[in-house]
Amino acid sequence: MDRPNGITVANPLTLLDKYLGIVLQLVGQATIMFLQTMRYIFRGELSLSEAFRQANMIGLGSLYVVGVTGLFTGFAMSLQISKELAAFGADTAVGGVVALALIREIGPITAGVMVAGRVGSAMAAELSSMVVSEQIDALKIMRVDPVQFLVVPRFLAALVMMPALSIYSMFLGLGGAIFIAQAKANIPPETFLDSVKQTVVGTDFITHIIKSLVFATIIIFFSCSIGLSARGGAEDVGHATTRAVVWTMTIIFIVNYIITALSPLHAS
Amino acid sequence: MTSQPIPPSSLPSFSKASEPMIKVEGLRKSFNGREVLKGISFEVFPGEMLAIIGPSGCGKSTLLKLITGLLEPDAGKITLNSEQIGLVFQGSALLNSLTVRENLALALRERKLPKREQDKAIMEDLTLVGLADYIDSFPTQLSGGQQKRTSFARAIVNDPQIILYDEPTTGLDPVMSTVIEDYMIELEKQLHAAGIVVTHQFSTWTRTAHRAILLNQGVVVWEGKPHEALNSTNPYIIQFAKATREGPMLAGKV
Amino acid sequence: MQASDAKKLAASPYLLVEDWVSIGVRLAGQVGIVIAKTFYYLLRLQIDWQESIRQAYFIGVKSFLIVSLTALFTGLAMSLQIAIQLVQFGGESAIGGVVSLALIRQIGPITAAIIVAGRVGSSIAAELTTMNVSEQIDALKVMRIDPIKFLVVPRFVGAMMMMPVLSIYAMFIGIFAGMVIALVYADVSFGVFLDSAKAMVIDQDFFVHFLKAFINAAIVIFYSCAIGLNTRGGAADVGNAVTRSVVWSMTVMFIVNYIVTDLTYEGPR
Ligand SMILES: Nc1ncnc2c1ncn2[C@@H]1O[C@H](COP(=O)(O)OP(=O)(O)O)[C@@H](O)[C@H]1O
Ligand SMILES: [Mg+2]
Repeated sequence: MDRPNGITVANPLTLLDKYLGIVLQLVGQATIMFLQTMRYIFRGELSLSEAFRQANMIGLGSLYVVGVTGLFTGFAMSLQISKELAAFGADTAVGGVVALALIREIGPITAGVMVAGRVGSAMAAELSSMVVSEQIDALKIMRVDPVQFLVVPRFLAALVMMPALSIYSMFLGLGGAIFIAQAKANIPPETFLDSVKQTVVGTDFITHIIKSLVFATIIIFFSCSIGLSARGGAEDVGHATTRAVVWTMTIIFIVNYIITALSPLHAS
Repeated sequence: MTSQPIPPSSLPSFSKASEPMIKVEGLRKSFNGREVLKGISFEVFPGEMLAIIGPSGCGKSTLLKLITGLLEPDAGKITLNSEQIGLVFQGSALLNSLTVRENLALALRERKLPKREQDKAIMEDLTLVGLADYIDSFPTQLSGGQQKRTSFARAIVNDPQIILYDEPTTGLDPVMSTVIEDYMIELEKQLHAAGIVVTHQFSTWTRTAHRAILLNQGVVVWEGKPHEALNSTNPYIIQFAKATREGPMLAGKV
Repeated sequence: MQASDAKKLAASPYLLVEDWVSIGVRLAGQVGIVIAKTFYYLLRLQIDWQESIRQAYFIGVKSFLIVSLTALFTGLAMSLQIAIQLVQFGGESAIGGVVSLALIRQIGPITAAIIVAGRVGSSIAAELTTMNVSEQIDALKVMRIDPIKFLVVPRFVGAMMMMPVLSIYAMFIGIFAGMVIALVYADVSFGVFLDSAKAMVIDQDFFVHFLKAFINAAIVIFYSCAIGLNTRGGAADVGNAVTRSVVWSMTVMFIVNYIVTDLTYEGPR
């Protein structure tokens, strides 16, 4: 990998073995960190002011990316669905179909992926550069547990902010969808909203919130454990940040399906 | 160490009869509204080595980047008498994805030499800095001193008429510093190029340079021969060379 | 940077928006320059093919596993939702068509693009920023080597070679996942699924698929390279550059994805 000289084709089995090793190690680290964090939270050993500051950063940092992507996802979804359904004379179903897709699948996954890219990568960057500049060592010498000091407030903040961001993204997406449905398929907003009300049920929102809480947990623990296990210099900070993005996104996609499959699904 | 008298240099001689190779006049440069260089002027002749000394952050690297064209000056003029410039970066700056050989070949690329001659030039160059055995190693496999020497080799592989060193010995142990300084002196003899060495390390500017200028707060506060530094009446160079707290530098900053 | 954001928002939300806009405009300018210079070299065919193929290989190797996983699970989740809806209407036979269309036109390209932005874009941003921070880019310039020609062109050409391959691969995995869901959940055989897909999907859909793949790859490469080549400082800045490249390339891709959909969508068939 370091030597990009000739192209050598790795044995797929060795590759799989390598990946499995990495995955197990990573999942192990993240799980241990999760347990340590939970212990601090249950004992109430936490700094709410730092958590508040982190929440502020997570929210502000993602406000715009999550908003823009949510809006344009709503546009794209609505464009195709409203035209298709309007052609069948099913104008009254458009709102429901779009809303269901946005609430159950596209909304949470889009927000999750964007927050992984924005917040997860920033945390991995921050923590790994603290490691390489020996700030983490300095904390340890002062007998401050980096998990308590750095991870706990970030986790609490993410648990609060992620559902908020996800719902915000979903509403922008719905707004975009209503706008496009009217502009491109002549479906009045009232028709659209009636259909939404008839179709969407409480459990859809619960699924949405559960997904966002789980994604927040994945993002925080994978990014933080990747960041804290970095070593070296500037180059390694870059590697750690990249790894955090790749792993959190992949795991979000996988876990998203698992939650979808487990959630009480109903048809519109 | 710094209190020892400085021996007069035994560097190769040069003449001021010809045109200066590097001529800098009234150079100014600001970053974000803060003026880092406030009108710097000097000349360097072929075969001469000029040391630019001064505290960290006084704009020494910026000056080299202006001379190499990596930065544009806000005001002032830089006249270079040759296009062939070698720059030894502070942090070596070797391309990590390329071998030592490929790093050097990159510098030779414009000459479009046949492969055999190119390899010969690279080999000669590496032999000069004692790294012939490492020709196919990657920069990350080399020690700090070896990386430094490789970046020397890269800077001189084109037989430059102008060679610039940015803190060549900072961060190296004293023995390795002496080795690097000896290479610099050896290169002065072989290349007869005009050189500038930016440094704040005492041994480096006193051993390798014919002349030194001291920068402080963006202006030249002293200019002279290194072995005259300690006998000077200029309070700046006395403070800098003796490394004392008492003096006009950093006044009010500490 | 974020702490000052908080202060600005407290002062006036307008200031914050203005800041984003000015950063976005400056970045767009830097990206524009990178694009113009890249095409200057491409049109003169000043391309290092060997290096380009090497870059293509790395892009493929780096993305292979993660594209497989995400395509598989996106395919599963999507098809599950679609199947549930269609079964309700007794439209089992249409599952194949609807799933394939969604995967080929929308979900497939955007998922592949997100992954490539996260995997390839972020590592290019990290690599180039590291080179910048350690003065390797300056060293190239002193040797009169244009970093765009030396670093950006081969990465762009490599991505253009690899992206369609990754995209098709992701599409097949996704459709396979759809077939499994249709079989398990709606008792739709592979044959019925594929017949429905064949009836609904037309050449134009593949055209849209490839168009999006190429455009998204270009966005990722140009944004990550422009950010890498314009970031200075130390270790922390390398990490920030990665974050910025992921965020900006994804945001721009979502917007462009919609525009391409709007321009190429011809209505129901
Ligand atoms: N590209 C830049 N942008 C902003 N400020 C810079 C830049 N380069 C250097 N500076 C500032 O200019 C001053 C001089 O830097 P430099 O020339 O690197 O100092 P030296 O090499 O003498 O230690 C420092 O205060 C540094 O922060
Ligand atoms: Mg410097």
